[in-house]
Amino acid sequence: MSELGALGISGLPLVMIEHPLGGERSEGISRRARQAVEQLKSLLTQPPGASTTLTGEIGRAEPARVSSRPPSIQAGLTDPATTNPATTNPATTSPVTVNDTPEAVLAAFCEREWCDGLPIVPPTEERVRTMLGGAPADRSLGAMPPLWRVATLDKLAVNAVMAGCEPAYFPLVVTAVQAMLEPAFNLYGVQATTHPVAPLLIVHGPIAAELGLHAGSGCFGPGFRANATIGRAIRLILMNVGGAWPGRHDMATQGSPAKFSYCIAERADASPWGALHDDNRVTVFGGEPPHNVNDHVSTTAAGILATVADTAVSLGSNVGWYFSQSQLLIVLGPEHAQTIANDGFSRADVQRFVFEHARLPLRTLKLGGMWGIQDWPRWMNAVTDDDALLPQVPSPEDVMVMVAGGPGKHSAVVPNCTFSRAVSRPIRPI
Amino acid sequence: MTRIRVLSPVGVASSDTLSVPPLPQSLAGRTVGFIDNRKANFDRLADEIGAILSAEHGVKAVIRRRKANAATPAAPEILAGLAKDCDVVFAGSAD
Repeated sequence: MSELGALGISGLPLVMIEHPLGGERSEGISRRARQAVEQLKSLLTQPPGASTTLTGEIGRAEPARVSSRPPSIQAGLTDPATTNPATTNPATTSPVTVNDTPEAVLAAFCEREWCDGLPIVPPTEERVRTMLGGAPADRSLGAMPPLWRVATLDKLAVNAVMAGCEPAYFPLVVTAVQAMLEPAFNLYGVQATTHPVAPLLIVHGPIAAELGLHAGSGCFGPGFRANATIGRAIRLILMNVGGAWPGRHDMATQGSPAKFSYCIAERADASPWGALHDDNRVTVFGGEPPHNVNDHVSTTAAGILATVADTAVSLGSNVGWYFSQSQLLIVLGPEHAQTIANDGFSRADVQRFVFEHARLPLRTLKLGGMWGIQDWPRWMNAVTDDDALLPQVPSPEDVMVMVAGGPGKHSAVVPNCTFSRAVSRPIRPI
Repeated sequence: MTRIRVLSPVGVASSDTLSVPPLPQSLAGRTVGFIDNRKANFDRLADEIGAILSAEHGVKAVIRRRKANAATPAAPEILAGLAKDCDVVFAGSAD
């Protein structure tokens, strides 16, 4: 349990029960309750001091403390990092020396679980120094969850080099990390959840074009170094500094391709309402991958936005259940945006329309999703009319509307993970 | 074969530690608390554990406090209340 070790409380007693708990019926819950009590009994009778391990050190297998796990459960909980004999200690923070070939470097980084599986640029001291551009290497931005390792500029620079970033991108990478570390973003939740959330970086202002960030055709996809490597640097930082490895601290059930890289810019030039922000700024948004909005036929704002609103709601979405944190990002393609604007809609009108129409009736919400464990305000919990249409987000302002993409009749809805709020920060020299 | 020295991308962990108080030897006459993280069925699990501890281990009282939702930390007043009233607290469970 290295997360407890990272918190300096590796001596905290643990009891382990079978996974999952959700979806189990009465007999399954009773069995798990008995498992917990039996282990608790064992812990209570351990000799004093037997359950105390206080090193708090990462990368060292902690002494076995809870010996009372049923073997069948223990097998299912084994930590892959401590059992794979081929894995070199992934937590070492020291430099390593490797053969200078692309294949050997990739193999060394994959073996140590230091990369995303794709080739990397070797982070030599010289390259990292160039990436830092004179910024203080040991400057800390704070501790990054889930393993609460210190996010120093030199570690961010190492990961940015690996991702293939130009040094000019580095202030943007640093700013995005600062934004993710703000409490409103709830990076711990974003990193550790079973939901497939990834931080989407939205870059605003002239800096986007200066860095070569792409906002046009296929903006969520491949082909552009700045988008690809800035987004990748963020992911490598989340894995290597934060410690979120798939299945170990990043507990995403399936994850998503957006976890490789997720970075776009605004098409201010194609937006009828201007940019979300005119200054050099980055917004981090804890989002699902983009959900396509296909509307080839509507000629009115109401038509386009009806399709947007329908795409924005589904029983399987997280949005709406943890109500106060729920947000929707609407990324309109330029053609859809123009059709909407031709009806005289302002950005606020778009937000209001989606807020009013992206709703599900109570009877649908009762069918599954997170019904029964939702975090709703009192007025929503009091609704009894099964036909009542309940909102997905607290206010129209929680529907963010921007323009990106190229020609075509598509837009996108990006639902958030509902426990993380978007955070924007100005990009400044480090 | 040329060799190169590359830097580790792994962040350095904080070395701060906290001491963990020992568990009591027995739960008889003790108060046991649960932080209900509102994941599905945790309330039922906590109720069953509490019932077993009361019936078979002499636990005096069982207290369950609910977080606002599963993904955000428990409010400070919940933690303070449990720390004041309980001898042992179950902090939650995953899915």
